[in-house]
Amino acid sequence: MSEIKVNSIKGVGASAAAITVNNTDGTCTANITNNLSNRNLIINGAMQVAQRGTSNTAGGDGYFTVDRMYYYNAGIDNDVTKAQADIASGTTPYSLGFRKSFKLTNGNQSGGAASGDEILIRQNIEAQDIANSGWNYTSSSSFITLQYWIKSSVSQNFYVNLMSIDGTQQNYVTETGTLTADTWTKVTKTIPGNSNLQFDNNNQKGMFIQWNVFRGTSATGTRPLNAWAAYSGSSRVPDMTSTWYTTNDATFEITGVQLEVGSVATDFEHRSFGQELLLCQRYYYQNTAHLYLCHYGSNSINNMFHPVQMRTTPTVSETTTSGNLTSISQITNLSCYYYKASSAGAAGTGIKAEAEL
Amino acid sequence: MAYPTNPIYKLVKNPFSDKEESVKIVDADSNTKFVPFDEANTDYQEYLEWVAEGNTAEAAD
Repeated sequence: MSEIKVNSIKGVGASAAAITVNNTDGTCTANITNNLSNRNLIINGAMQVAQRGTSNTAGGDGYFTVDRMYYYNAGIDNDVTKAQADIASGTTPYSLGFRKSFKLTNGNQSGGAASGDEILIRQNIEAQDIANSGWNYTSSSSFITLQYWIKSSVSQNFYVNLMSIDGTQQNYVTETGTLTADTWTKVTKTIPGNSNLQFDNNNQKGMFIQWNVFRGTSATGTRPLNAWAAYSGSSRVPDMTSTWYTTNDATFEITGVQLEVGSVATDFEHRSFGQELLLCQRYYYQNTAHLYLCHYGSNSINNMFHPVQMRTTPTVSETTTSGNLTSISQITNLSCYYYKASSAGAAGTGIKAEAEL
Repeated sequence: MAYPTNPIYKLVKNPFSDKEESVKIVDADSNTKFVPFDEANTDYQEYLEWVAEGNTAEAAD
């Protein structure tokens, strides 16, 4: 029987210890990077769930295909296609277990890049999920780490920023570096806390991560990279090249998005489709099955329970445009009532409920 | 987000309590949406902005 007494174990060429041993209480801290769970603060980071559909060319901004991924544009001449796309076998993301991406395909921006033009995608995160994450976000020696895979058909640099919402809004801008066209690249960024950050313990928007596919000069300017600074609407990111934006049918894809507490990018936390779907349904779900209403006096009603407790009282609507329903009432974050001012019976429709950030 | 210009919001009563608890709007894709009076709901936040601009929803039936 022998015993080794050490206070840390470090790789030969490493600058930090892989295992730090507490000298008094018999515990240790290890920088384990694989097979960890419940670390990813991003929902649907592998882009598996797309309840609203897999491709959309509608104008405007909102949630169109891949769950939790918000799309925004301004000033464009031709609509962008938002899609849940397949990742080709033989690529590195595929070999790591990624099968889907969120993909934009540019339209023809025939008017060129105007100062107010923008194409963005983002994921909004509840404030309470940051507040309760374990990140000591007001300390500059406490970190979160962001990682994602990205591919663009155009070789250029893109800016990706994190933005805090509560208190005085703070903005942290990173860059992808110049991407090789049509080649998947993994980007990892470790981000410190800052004394100006504030995340309230509530279900409101606390932070978002945003991929700036293009921003015109109305919203770009002098902005430090890799540092927290107060938000400025006129300089959200540095000036951007318009190469992607002015290339007809240019594509932009991301997958494998993970945001975790700590200074180390651990392996992506792969969750099952069912787990990811339930997490997404806190913000949106749809049920296209026909509902049959029960007679209630001279009226008809049906009580509908949401699959999970939603973030807040959702906006609810019919999944068809039949207009059969008189109202959807007594809406809570747990359930709602379908109501028809008639005893005629079945309404024959489904439901969409949205409580997005 | 661009608001539909016509029709606009219409107040909706809870048929059980007869109280106004939501507004109805037909969006750009012709979906009829029922927006609850919940300040954490982003659609309700947009409705409040619309009201703050001086607009008034159609009365409930």
